[in-house]
Amino acid sequence: MNMKKKQAAAEDPAEMSPSDSPHEEEADEAPIKAKRSKPEEGEDMVYHPVKLSRNDLYRPPTAEELSQLKEAESLFHCSLLKMQMEELLKEVTLSERRKQHIDSFIQTVTKLLQTVPESPVVEVADLSWLSGAVKVPFLLMPKTTKGKFHMAPPAAVDLIGSYPLGTCTKPHIVVDLAVTIPADILHPKDVINQRYPRKRALYMAGLAQHLTSSPDIGPMRYSSLHGNRLRPVLLLTPPENTLSSFTVRVHACPPPGFFKPSRFHPQKNNIRTDWYTGLQTTSSETNEPPTPHYNSSILGDLLPRAHLQFLSAVSCQCTAFADGVALLKVWLRQRELNQGTGCFNGFLASMLLAYLLMSHRVSNTMTAYQLLRNSLNFLASTDLTVNGISLVKNPDSTAPSLAEFHSAFEVVFVDPSGHLNLCADMTACTYKQLQHEASVSMQFWDNPTIDGFHSLLMTPKPMIRTSDHVFQLCELVKLQSSCKKLNLLNELMDHSGNYVQTVLPFILSLLQRGLGQRIHLLTHSLSPDPEWSVESEAPKYKAQPPLSFGLLLRPELAASVLERGPQADSPKAAEFRQLWGPRSELRRFQDSAITEAVLWDGESMCQKRLVPKQIITHLLQLHADIPESCVRYVGAMVDDVIKTGSEVPSTGEEESLVVVQSFDDLSRKLWRLENLPLSITAVQGAHPALRYTQVFPPVPLKLDYSFFEREKTSKSLVPKEGKPCPAYITPITVICHMEGSGKWPHDKFAIRHIRAAFHIRLAELLMKHHGYTCRPCPTHLDVWKDGLVFRIKVAYHREPQVLRESVNAEGLLVVRDNEEAQALEMATIHKPLLTSTLHGLQQQHPCFGAVCRLAKRWLGAQLFSDDITEDTADVLVASLFLQPAPFTVPSSPQVGFLRFLHLLSSFDWRNNPLIVNLNNQLTATDYTEIKNGFMASRESLPVMFIATPKDKNVSLWTRRAPNVQMLQRAMTVAAESLKVLEHQLMDGSQTQDVRVVMRPPLDAYDVLIHLNPKQVPLLSQAVDPPAVTFSRGVMTSSAAQSGGALPVIDYNPVSLYLAELREAFADTALFFCDPCGGTVIAVLWKPKAFIPAPFKTSQVSARNVEVSGEVANTVPNVEAILEDFRILGKDLVKSVEAKSEKWSL
Amino acid sequence: MAPSKKKHASGQPCIIPGGFAVLSLRFSSNSPAGHSLYVKEHKVRAETSSGRPLDRTLFVLNIPPYCSKTVIRELFSQFGPVESVELRDHPGSSNESGPRLTKFFQPADKQGFKVGYIVFQKSSTVAAVKSHPHHVPLVVCTERRPVKTGVQKWIQQYSDSFILPQKLQETVDSFMEDYDKRKEEEAERQRKEAEQQQEDEEGWVKVTRGHKGAKARPRSEAANQRTLRKEMRKKKRKELLNFYTWQHRNTQKEHIAELRKKFEEDKQRIALLRAQRKFRPY
Repeated sequence: MNMKKKQAAAEDPAEMSPSDSPHEEEADEAPIKAKRSKPEEGEDMVYHPVKLSRNDLYRPPTAEELSQLKEAESLFHCSLLKMQMEELLKEVTLSERRKQHIDSFIQTVTKLLQTVPESPVVEVADLSWLSGAVKVPFLLMPKTTKGKFHMAPPAAVDLIGSYPLGTCTKPHIVVDLAVTIPADILHPKDVINQRYPRKRALYMAGLAQHLTSSPDIGPMRYSSLHGNRLRPVLLLTPPENTLSSFTVRVHACPPPGFFKPSRFHPQKNNIRTDWYTGLQTTSSETNEPPTPHYNSSILGDLLPRAHLQFLSAVSCQCTAFADGVALLKVWLRQRELNQGTGCFNGFLASMLLAYLLMSHRVSNTMTAYQLLRNSLNFLASTDLTVNGISLVKNPDSTAPSLAEFHSAFEVVFVDPSGHLNLCADMTACTYKQLQHEASVSMQFWDNPTIDGFHSLLMTPKPMIRTSDHVFQLCELVKLQSSCKKLNLLNELMDHSGNYVQTVLPFILSLLQRGLGQRIHLLTHSLSPDPEWSVESEAPKYKAQPPLSFGLLLRPELAASVLERGPQADSPKAAEFRQLWGPRSELRRFQDSAITEAVLWDGESMCQKRLVPKQIITHLLQLHADIPESCVRYVGAMVDDVIKTGSEVPSTGEEESLVVVQSFDDLSRKLWRLENLPLSITAVQGAHPALRYTQVFPPVPLKLDYSFFEREKTSKSLVPKEGKPCPAYITPITVICHMEGSGKWPHDKFAIRHIRAAFHIRLAELLMKHHGYTCRPCPTHLDVWKDGLVFRIKVAYHREPQVLRESVNAEGLLVVRDNEEAQALEMATIHKPLLTSTLHGLQQQHPCFGAVCRLAKRWLGAQLFSDDITEDTADVLVASLFLQPAPFTVPSSPQVGFLRFLHLLSSFDWRNNPLIVNLNNQLTATDYTEIKNGFMASRESLPVMFIATPKDKNVSLWTRRAPNVQMLQRAMTVAAESLKVLEHQLMDGSQTQDVRVVMRPPLDAYDVLIHLNPKQVPLLSQAVDPPAVTFSRGVMTSSAAQSGGALPVIDYNPVSLYLAELREAFADTALFFCDPCGGTVIAVLWKPKAFIPAPFKTSQVSARNVEVSGEVANTVPNVEAILEDFRILGKDLVKSVEAKSEKWSL
Repeated sequence: MAPSKKKHASGQPCIIPGGFAVLSLRFSSNSPAGHSLYVKEHKVRAETSSGRPLDRTLFVLNIPPYCSKTVIRELFSQFGPVESVELRDHPGSSNESGPRLTKFFQPADKQGFKVGYIVFQKSSTVAAVKSHPHHVPLVVCTERRPVKTGVQKWIQQYSDSFILPQKLQETVDSFMEDYDKRKEEEAERQRKEAEQQQEDEEGWVKVTRGHKGAKARPRSEAANQRTLRKEMRKKKRKELLNFYTWQHRNTQKEHIAELRKKFEEDKQRIALLRAQRKFRPY
């Protein structure tokens, strides 16, 4: 079956890629593949440079057109953004058909609700009138309650919220329906001790019971509004939920004006302590603690109609109001701020816009784009945790003042009535997060070099991809004990027993204090609204998913192991000691100050990065009684795959530093050499290890000479036959530019010889002055120094030019580009430049190298390292640091890696160039130029187009690879890996194995060549550490050596074997292997090679002839090729596993 | 030699359309599968190089990577004495140009499948090869003639890669000497040519344009283009822009046209993205 697919794909000009999930790929590949595979269909899908006729271009403009063009020019960076927003709005607004559907369903529901039967009056505790099929959506705690209750048809049923306002957007359409409880069921005194909420829950259950019998309504569920268990709602869906998915949310409300709003003043008490605790206390009502959250939850029920009226009045005057709210909602949703307890939902967004309109910060004539911009600007610049805002026009004397609100709530936004704080449940951290997001958005919005629309509205920002470190509190039940420890009875009463919400602000402020300068921002997940079936009891508080917290680290301070406190005798010292408990100790510092200090553990960089973890677990344990086992810290789980080092685990920062230092030393020594015929003008590194991005940086080695054969004449070691392959020693490439001079010959062969002479000379000098063992070759010079090998290549800057020049038949000197010159330029100019640029980037962003290493480890493990090369990967990662919008610069390897996967999988490679502004050299005009150049010649450019300041229109790094198929495959695998990994990281209940994303799916390949681990020198770097290890001629002592015999350099049987296979079978198959310790070579036949081809002398390699009549056709000689795999890799190949069904015709 | 001749007589050679004979090849005597060599007498219309005499040369296709020149020579010497073997990546005439390089400076050989030109001492051997029976395979690696592959080969390669600095230095020196000599000869030749131009045998001197010391324009493409560009610039400098009213009007018209064009471009880009469903935020 697979073969058939391949044959179908055989018409494709390029090779077919392996596909384990054909359906997924077909769905995704439209953007890239459309053009290549079906040009006749995809004609309109392709961008052509616009050609307007002369008449069209130069006809006199109408006034309207002029103003339109002007608007686009002045309001937006380009008209593109305006059009993009319009298109986006089209995607989220409801269609007329959908609206009709909703309206008809609302009518049915309203009719049904009107016919609720009356029931006799009973005590509230008596549930006998309720059939067993429907449960009351309420957590009874405490159980005792007074009052009478009976069912009666609602006094009114009205639409409220976003739907009647016209601000309802896709997806998750929720239509709010308010059902007014008849006044005779309630009593004005019901606000006290949860009597009203309980009656409401009963009423809700009564409605549910009535509706269950109706065939017009699909399965019903309960939920609670913003996670507040006092405010249950009933979710209704139409029975055939497939056509248009929407939910009707039924709220029960008291009749308007039934309770006096002044009862709900934030400093009043409506829950009595003796009732709540069940203990008789003698305290009078005046001593009772205030219950602001309880009060506002009930007040919130009284006002929805008034709010709707208010908002409708505002939106009537502003034409773009609905669109503005829709954009704001999309923005909030992408940042996960619009749902859950204490969220900034669409309702708040509308209220905010209304506030801006009322206070004349925006005008009624503004467009949706301007409304969004102004509201973000307002959010970014206004701190509602300090200066609350109010929608009240004519202040009411009974209404509380802003100061009173501030004392009761963290965030203050007062509604038009003046009594209700709309942001009652919001924590200060959530608001800070909102503010941070708004200010980040404002920053990149104005940047013409960033695709603002995409970053602003199209990119989702889940917490795991946004925050540098994430941790979760798993067993929420433990928070009950924190309540006790922190002595939060009054607050618990106020939150009606919701201990999670009670403790949260205290934990947040504790952590904020403890982490202090180490973090930019502390965020937390908003507990999602619980949903449960009407037939089951309301879920307990502990049943909600774990609470997640995100940290945005300040890279320069986050990893510091020392927490220096105040002077020992200062009054603040006690506070410091109280915060840190026994970890705080007196220390004397070099500046002779004696201060309180806390010292955390951490030697290597990867340990130091986890200092915040130590702080968090320590503080939670000390102050909130939360044991370490409850804290699931997701900060460095992925880092394991690049961890090395036996005593001190390290992710390569320290090793890289050793290499760089050794290189600096070598470079100094080279500069100082005398008696060279020409002087050295530059010594540049051209190896990933010299920019901190080598997956496993070279480690200084000391050799066990007895392990090797000795070559006497050249003082070198040679691997012994029969022994395991010796440890692989990476040659670290160093380019050494020689001064230009008339002495250089103007002939490519002569230059080569002169270079060789330089290598010999350098070797002599290094040997003589510094005692390094050297080996000069025509192409390079290997230097054995400090247990590392540097491969010095002498370069002459005019050599590429010489290679390009030739004299044509007419004797004219012509300059023609050729591959040889390109390769030389790449090696001697571009690679050193990239290395030094990225080395600089590492100095600015300490985790850049680690992200590169993770990304490359993943590419290698997923067998992409030949298509997305090391340099390409480094440039891709650099783009994450240089242009992080809509995120901030990653400060942990893990988050950087996740964003790398996201970039790779979601970037629109077909339509956009990825512009990486290294060294910040590109200006806005350069960006436009690059984009225009890209659009004009898209078809001839590499599929993955990356532009850098030194390379604006060729995409040097991706010129050779990947091709369409491989890029498509890489994108699919990256998307899948990202999904799996994020799930793994955020879901504590699963077995933790992040290495899953590093294990490639091998079933898509045709042949697997299993290698003998003994001959794989990098075996220890494999994703899954091998069970057996081999002695590879390395001594464990740490002292590295410089002199002595030259070690075995750059001898890796696996790569030699791969090179041979690729040279021999380039036309027949593709070969994939993990360069870091892969023990399997995966082979994929090229479908094109398997079509019988006529016999041609140039195309018979490894093919069999089949004669039919007078025609001779050739097909690959598969048996012989498989035999060749064994022969060419004798002693290295363990077995060749052919999946026969795939190639036998 | 003798047993192979016997088989030779009994078996049937396999000739395919195109005139190639198929010889089967096994790596070792117990290999389960092997490649086929396609051989034919070397026949081209115009053979320039003298290394491939038409009557005595055998053209061999599909030589596997583990067969080196020596292996091929030995394999085919069972049919008759071999004069020379030439292995190449692609069929075609041999074109050796440039100075002779020592093996240190030659680019590394590709290790793929090759084509070969085998020159026998006698022309009859070619026919003998072609009539070799198909079912008798040629065996590459025998006990008498082990062929190293895999790890053994790579170790061998590694130890062969050592070059003694002295030897390398000698090579470089001799090449550079040679190069200098060639350079000198070239210079000498040019000088002579120039001299010849100056005074012919009858004593006439050709008088050329330009005064003494004036540099002639270098004969290169880049120089030609540079001159062209210079001319263009000169022309442009003389033009007046935004001088007449109509010119001013034209500029404005151009500006609007530019805006329009951009608008249209953006519209098209949007349409394209819309077609690809790029506006769904989630």
